[in-house]
Amino acid sequence: MEKIHSDTERDDYKPLKKFVASPARPPKRETHGVIGTIRKRFFNSIGNSLLTCIALAVLFYLGKWIVNWAVIDAVFVADTRRQCFDTSPDGACWAGVISWFNGLIYGRFPVQEQWRVNLGVVIGIVWLLPLLSKRIPLRGAILLSWVALFPFVGAYLFLGGRFGQELGLFHGIMTCAAFGYLLLIYLNLIKALIGSKTIAVAGLHLLFVPFLEKRLSRRVVAISSMLVWGGLSAIAALFLSSFDLPLVPIERWGGLFLTFIIAGFSITMAIPVGVILALGRRSKLRVIHWLSLGVIEIVRSVPLITVLFMAVTLLPIFMPSDVEFNKLSQVLVAVCIFAGAYMAENIRGGLQAIPKGQFEAATTLGFGYWQTMFLIVLPQALRMMIPNIMTSFISLLKDTTLVSIIGLFDIMLMARNIANDKDWVGMHTEPLVLIAILFFVLCFSMSQYSLNLEKRIKVDR
Amino acid sequence: MIQSTAAKKLQGEVPNVYPSIPDDTSVALGSPHSFFRFMNNDSSRGVVIQVLVLALFLFGMWYLFSNAANNLDRLSMTFGFDFLQVTSGFNISWSIIPYDSSMTYWRVFLVGVLNTLVLSAFVIVIGTLLGTVVGILRLSQNPLISQIARGYVEVVRNVPLLIQVIFWFTVVFSTLPAPRKSYSLADVFFLNNRGFYIPTVDLSISWWWITLALGVCGASLWGVVKWAKRSQRQSGKRPVGVYAALLLWSAVVLSLIAFLSQWMSWNVPVLKGFNFREGAFLPASFGAAFVAMTVYRSAAIAETVRAGMQSIDRGQHEAAFTIGFSRFQSLRLILIPQAVRAIIPPMTNSWLAATKDSSLAVAIGFPELVSVFMQTSINQTGRALEIIAMVMGFYIVISFVISYLLNKYNDHVQYKVR
Repeated sequence: MEKIHSDTERDDYKPLKKFVASPARPPKRETHGVIGTIRKRFFNSIGNSLLTCIALAVLFYLGKWIVNWAVIDAVFVADTRRQCFDTSPDGACWAGVISWFNGLIYGRFPVQEQWRVNLGVVIGIVWLLPLLSKRIPLRGAILLSWVALFPFVGAYLFLGGRFGQELGLFHGIMTCAAFGYLLLIYLNLIKALIGSKTIAVAGLHLLFVPFLEKRLSRRVVAISSMLVWGGLSAIAALFLSSFDLPLVPIERWGGLFLTFIIAGFSITMAIPVGVILALGRRSKLRVIHWLSLGVIEIVRSVPLITVLFMAVTLLPIFMPSDVEFNKLSQVLVAVCIFAGAYMAENIRGGLQAIPKGQFEAATTLGFGYWQTMFLIVLPQALRMMIPNIMTSFISLLKDTTLVSIIGLFDIMLMARNIANDKDWVGMHTEPLVLIAILFFVLCFSMSQYSLNLEKRIKVDR
Repeated sequence: MIQSTAAKKLQGEVPNVYPSIPDDTSVALGSPHSFFRFMNNDSSRGVVIQVLVLALFLFGMWYLFSNAANNLDRLSMTFGFDFLQVTSGFNISWSIIPYDSSMTYWRVFLVGVLNTLVLSAFVIVIGTLLGTVVGILRLSQNPLISQIARGYVEVVRNVPLLIQVIFWFTVVFSTLPAPRKSYSLADVFFLNNRGFYIPTVDLSISWWWITLALGVCGASLWGVVKWAKRSQRQSGKRPVGVYAALLLWSAVVLSLIAFLSQWMSWNVPVLKGFNFREGAFLPASFGAAFVAMTVYRSAAIAETVRAGMQSIDRGQHEAAFTIGFSRFQSLRLILIPQAVRAIIPPMTNSWLAATKDSSLAVAIGFPELVSVFMQTSINQTGRALEIIAMVMGFYIVISFVISYLLNKYNDHVQYKVR
């Protein structure tokens, strides 16, 4: 330290010569314009030129080979794999995939009942449509109602059976309530479109309004819309009990449909489970902290496939002998815990990024623990972690293919099964390529959307 | 706490007009009922909640294990690890330690563990190298190269690993020619639809001699490099003697090999009947799992490396360029050493994921831990509880070891902050 100071105060210190800038040289011609840019970027050295040429050659031959295999030499119409070979031995045999397409989408769901799957998907989407409009208040309540009630509708449509009998009375009541709620949302929308300017949609909060609200007029509105909900549910019940849907056992579910059920369920359950585990891990109460930490760390350090095996082999041992399981519910439990543990780490990252001032401000306002967490901290933490959460969702979607290893007929196992069909023996490549493309499109668009969201959040902050 | 310290601060500066707030808020609230007073106190309520949760947890555990005991009783099964001493009676297609069906389940466990470790070690090493290269290519000035690298990463990352593993196995490795028509390299290496055959070395003396020779070679090379580095640091020039030393070193190594070769004999695979004998063999399932997992891991690592490189300040690139470093020099001497700090933590996760992902090889029948122990052995013995505990225990130990070691290394490379 001392030396540096003495250096600057040398005796022979002379001031620098006055700096005179020489006139700027014009830019080199060869780095400008189209040709210049190409030369600068692609051919600026021998190594780079070589690399460019090799890359172009590889791209050309790879592209040519792929186009030849997948389009030009491919066979789209044939009855068996033999016919494909006879027509064109070097091309893809898409005919097999086309004839199995229904199986890839619906698994072994009976063909004449497949409209129920389509209807279920359409209802699920229609339920969520109001979320697209920014003018609708309480969109969170609609999302919550979807999470809470749509599974009953889905189970009713996909499983079928006589209404309120095979699936139980409680399930029947919930299905009616769900249909009633969906009708209520749309009635409200229509009413608002006709009448007043603001669109008021009934949320699940209506359940609590009569008990919390002191103003009579509001209470009347809330109670009346609950009555309307009840009435609509009764109409739905009358309608639904007027016919029977044939029972489709869970073993016949499969294909993309099953993949989406598992992925959708685990994605929706991952956040609540993750929030509970993350809050537990950050808790000051030792027991809760250590329990959550143990669950998170153990689940995160073992592969998903071992968790799935555990669910399939150990759940029947650990449960009373009279409880009956199907493979799907065991898998859903396993995937839920697995996804929750990973989500907990994401959410914990978000919680740690919340400045201490937010907690203190909440305490100052007199908020308790739950109010602080749910009204102040978690909304910010979740928002901040949206990109990471999306990444988790993508890997969850990819991981659902693992259920094929324990014998659920998801799209992966359906695709592998085509090779066992006597007409299409040994056809592995085409189905695998098809589902690879499908997953690529889904995951890539999700990741691009999450990048987009990330940029928007950055702008917002 | 906050309130009391604030109150103390206030006391020093202004006359204390506020009544001091006692720490125990329940006294201030003055709840008439002692139970409410008890529950309004943070610490006592915490104790109650913890006791309740612990009781619930213990009850849940008791419930699960009593069910398990009942069910095991009903099926007249017992709990215990004595089955590990029982002869397994089934074959395993490939193992790096000697194994046959007359060996015990403990041996089966070891075979599975070692196969898993070998597969994940190969994937981690090659995947990291490939991923680093792709990550650097991703940052290339040449848009063609960087876009090809980007396309590779996006395609590989967005297709599930299981699909890739099965693709490589069924589409690539299973469609290789049969043993009689296998591809061969100099009639020593053979590749066919059963796997990859390589020659091995037989020794008539103890392996310890080879280990000793390798140790001597490694230590002397390390000494030469260390000396060259030190004198370069002191004088600023690479000593000319280093080339002479390296030449001498390689002469010594060559003569050592020549000396030892009188006890060595090559064991080249030869086709006998329908299959190859002699030599060593890597099954096609290993090849497929290795290629698929390496490619998948390299894409993840490429993204890690790219993010790490981009986290370095642009001034570092420019400074390296200014003092006349070539691109390779600036990467090796300036950029990579700094990027390592940002890369290590996500790289740890990536390596852990590689170890866990190796379990997917079960889908193509590669005999790793999940396949030989969790599938075959559970089917044979029915000891689901014990076997699953052992497998999970292994994975938990492995991930703790890897993260411990890399945390140590991470502490070593991070900036030393006083």
